[in-house]
Order: sequence, then structure tokens, then C-alpha cells
Amino acid sequence: MNRRLFKERTLLIALYSLTVFGCLVLAVILATVITRGGPALSGTFLFEEARNFGLEGGILYQIAGTLILMTGAALVCLPVALGSVLFQTEFLHSPPLKKIFRLLIYSLNAVPTIIFGLIGYLFFGVFLEAGVSWVTGVLILAVMILPTLHVSIHEAVESIPDHYREAGLALGLSPGQQMRAVVLPQSLHGIITGTLLGLARAAGETAAIMFTATAFSGVRLPQSWTEPVTTLQTHILVLAQEAANPIALTNAWGAGLVLLTLVFILITATLWIRSGLEMEAER
Amino acid sequence: MNTRSLFPERGPAFWGTGFTALIASGTIFILFVSLVIESVPVFKTQGVSFLWGTDWFAGEAYGALPMIFGSLMVTAIAVVLVFPFALGSAILTSEFLNGRLRLMVKAAMELLAGVPGIIYGLMGIALLTIWVRDVFGLIDGNTLFTAGLLLAVMVLPTVMTLSEDALRAVPGEFRDTALSLGLTRMEMVLKVVVPQALPGLAGAVFLGLGRAMGETIAVMLVIGGIDRIPQPWFNLFASGQSIPSKIGREAAEALGFDLQWSALIALGLVLFVMVMALSLAGNLLLRRAR
Repeated sequence: MNRRLFKERTLLIALYSLTVFGCLVLAVILATVITRGGPALSGTFLFEEARNFGLEGGILYQIAGTLILMTGAALVCLPVALGSVLFQTEFLHSPPLKKIFRLLIYSLNAVPTIIFGLIGYLFFGVFLEAGVSWVTGVLILAVMILPTLHVSIHEAVESIPDHYREAGLALGLSPGQQMRAVVLPQSLHGIITGTLLGLARAAGETAAIMFTATAFSGVRLPQSWTEPVTTLQTHILVLAQEAANPIALTNAWGAGLVLLTLVFILITATLWIRSGLEMEAER
Repeated sequence: MNTRSLFPERGPAFWGTGFTALIASGTIFILFVSLVIESVPVFKTQGVSFLWGTDWFAGEAYGALPMIFGSLMVTAIAVVLVFPFALGSAILTSEFLNGRLRLMVKAAMELLAGVPGIIYGLMGIALLTIWVRDVFGLIDGNTLFTAGLLLAVMVLPTVMTLSEDALRAVPGEFRDTALSLGLTRMEMVLKVVVPQALPGLAGAVFLGLGRAMGETIAVMLVIGGIDRIPQPWFNLFASGQSIPSKIGREAAEALGFDLQWSALIALGLVLFVMVMALSLAGNLLLRRAR
């Protein structure tokens, strides 16, 4: 019996250390980015444009570029994701078709982001003649975050209790009225969390936009449909490749800190909304 | 069966949502077909030898083998390194933690999953390559091993979260029965819950492999970027190249319609097929677990 107890304890300690180690990774990332990026931050860094290939000045237009791309992507993606979820839940009644639809969305989620960049450039850059521009970037990111929004909204719609729908049907609502009066209001939290997660994913993406939507220096706000932007992600990418230069590296960490803060605010908001809902459900 | 019985009502709501659903479900086919069409030129000039050629000189020869090898290698390293951590923390979170602690671990994993790839790349280039160089006494820290290590950290949340879902999907009666037979909790977990969740755990690993194989930016910065198979092939501490890293490095200069672009798209096609196979297998296994 003692041997069993000993084994039980040792294994439990092993499990705890593996888990603590996993969570430590997050702490290490946060600590590194904050300690190394902190010194770069200042009023001028945040609110001035980059000069001398990112060695001087700040990251104002990089921040603006990241915000433009992620907001644009979410705005383009949201109606499509919403529509396809509603079609799947309200009109698609045959189980095998539902299964196939789900599998297609999950597969889209697994596609490597660089492939969205390659094919997205062909479609939006070449065929739509948008070239290397912010519009191409927005459209590529919109396709990329589609599964994120879709899955989140779908979960919310699926969790609407049946009697809500039955009440709607009993009132003789058409499918369109049913969507507006019952489904959309009741799945609002899923729409919000899905959009926030999508924004976070778009903000963190580099590979899909680095050769399709961005330029490194001399770029401000886009003045037309076909101009590139500059973003935090690609700014870090270029500076990181000059890792031998300490000033470049410090500015890369500074931009990294801003990017990480942005992404973590979005994810924390998602977690907060979700945990609030869970507490409500327990009451 | 006629379509009217499938879709009884056909108002504007039907057509509107149907159109968006078509976009959502059709995208994956468009991606695949475009990859195939655009990679035709390189297969025409090189034949299937594109797949096992070992030399890649832009403008002369295109051989994908070093990149395919590199992708498989870094993915394998990542999964070997991440598995104990992912499984360990999944078991602990699902079977031993409750309430606040469990939520905290889950929240940490969500945040970790959201860390942008470029941040991992920056950490890799500024810290990890130097550690690897010093710890293993190498001349250059940009190796397949470094890339695998970085990928292991990046896919930890994916594998852990999916493994935890798989473990929690095992019905409670199994646990009650095991405990009532006098097993300790750990014995119950190792002898009943884990074996029951095995397909789901395998699914989690497959999806993690798929994520790791497609990751571009972080790998690109630490893998070394040399298109060759290391000598001997199992030498993990040599520079190499993975498919996404190769595409990421050359896409900007090849942007357009010449043969190099076609060769990059063909690499993308190879990557797409491998990742889709992993993802399909993973999703089917996870579905079986539920």
C-alpha cells in the first residue's frame, strides 16, 4: 500500500511540475518582452513615425497599419461568418451535409497561413488588381480568420435552448424573422467573442501579409485602394533580421511589446466575457 | 431526394445566407484548385522529380526534397518535445484541478495560443539561437533543433487544450467504477481514463503536428535557411529549411508568374496536402473520441 501511495505522490508531483513549466513559458515570454521592450517605450516612440529604417523615431504608422488591417479583416469577415453560420443552423437540416460543412470549416482552419498569402495574392492582388496593398491584406486576413469567427458564433447559436426557437415558430415567424428576433440577439456573446478572437488572430499574423500588403519604410497612411501599409508585425520582422544592431533589436522589442499588449487585451476581453457568462449560467 | 425537401423555405434569408455559406465552404476548394493549377508549369518542366530533387537554384533547378525533409524533421522534433508537457498538464487540469486553478491554467493556455508568431521569432533570434549555440557548443545556433524547440512551445496550447477536451470526454461512470474497485486516482487516470481517451489524444497530436508544419515566421528566423539535407541526415544541429520558411523567404522576390513562383506554389501544394492529411486524421479521431 505504501508503494502505491508513493507512486501516486511522485506521479502527481511530476504532473504538477510539467504543468507549472508549461505556464512558466508564458511568464518567461511576458517578462522578456516587457523587460526588453519597456526601455524603448516613450511618447515619441508611440506617436512618431519611423525614421532611418526604424532605428530612429517611433512606430505610429506601424500601429495604425496593424489596426487598419485587423479591423478591416473583421468587418469584411463578420457578415460572411454570420451568414454561413445561420445557413448551417437554420437551413441545413440533413446531418451528413452538416458534418461535411463542419469538416470544411475545420479544414480551412488548419490551412497554413502562408498559403493564404500565396493564393490570396493571386486572387486579390492579381485578378482584382489590388496589387501589394492594404486591401489585399484585409481580404486575405478576412479569409484567414473566417473559421475563428464561424466556430465561435456557431457554438453560441447551437447553445440557444430549443424552446426559444419553438416560441418563435409558434408565433409563426418566417426563418428571416426568426433569425432577427431570436437567433441573433441570443447569440450576441458568441458574435462578440468570435470577433475579438478574430481581431487578435489577424493582429498576430505576419506570414500572410508580409509579401502581399506591406512595405517597410516610407509608408504612412494609405491614400488610395492600392497602397501598401506598414505594420508592427513586419516592422519587427525586418528589425529582427538586423539582430546584430542593438538599437534595431531594442526597437523590435518595443514594437513587440505594443503588439503583445494589443493581442492580450483582445484575448483577455474574450475570456472575461466568457467567464461572466459561465457565472450567469451557474446562477 | 429533391432539393425542396432539403431546403423547404426559400426566402431572401435563404439565398443571402446560402451565398455566404458557399463562400465559407468553397474557399478550401478554391485554395486547392489554385495551388494545383499554378504549380503545373514547374511539374511540366521538371516532372515529378521536383519532389525528390535535392538542388534548388532559382532559374535553373527546383528540387523540393530538402524542404520536405526539413518540414518533417522540425515537426517531429516539436511533437516529441511537446508531448510530455501537453499530456501532463492536460491530465492534471482535467483530472486533478478544479475551480479557479483549472480556469487559470486554461486562461494561460488561451493567452499562450494568442502570442503572435513574430514574437516567438524575435525571442528565437535574440535568445534561443544563442542559448542553443552555447549549450550545445555549436558555431551557429540556427538549426533544425532550434526551430523544433520553438515550434514545441508554439503548439503546446493547441495540443494541451485538445488533449484536455479528449480526457474530459471520457464518461464519469468509467471513473466511478475504477475508484469503486479500489484503484487510486492516479491508477484510475493511467489505466482507465487515458486508454479510453487514446483516439482523442492521438487526434490532438495530429492537429498539433499540422499547426507546427505550417508555421512560417518563427521557423523562418531560426532554421538557418540552407536548402540541404544535413549530413548525416539525423544531425539535428545543422541548418536546414522548411517548406513555409522557403516560401516566406522567396515569395517577395518571385511574386508573379515565372517558374520560381510556380515552384513555390508547388511547395505550397505539397505542404497543403500534408497538413490537410494530418488535419483530417486529427478531426476524425477527435470526433470518434466524443
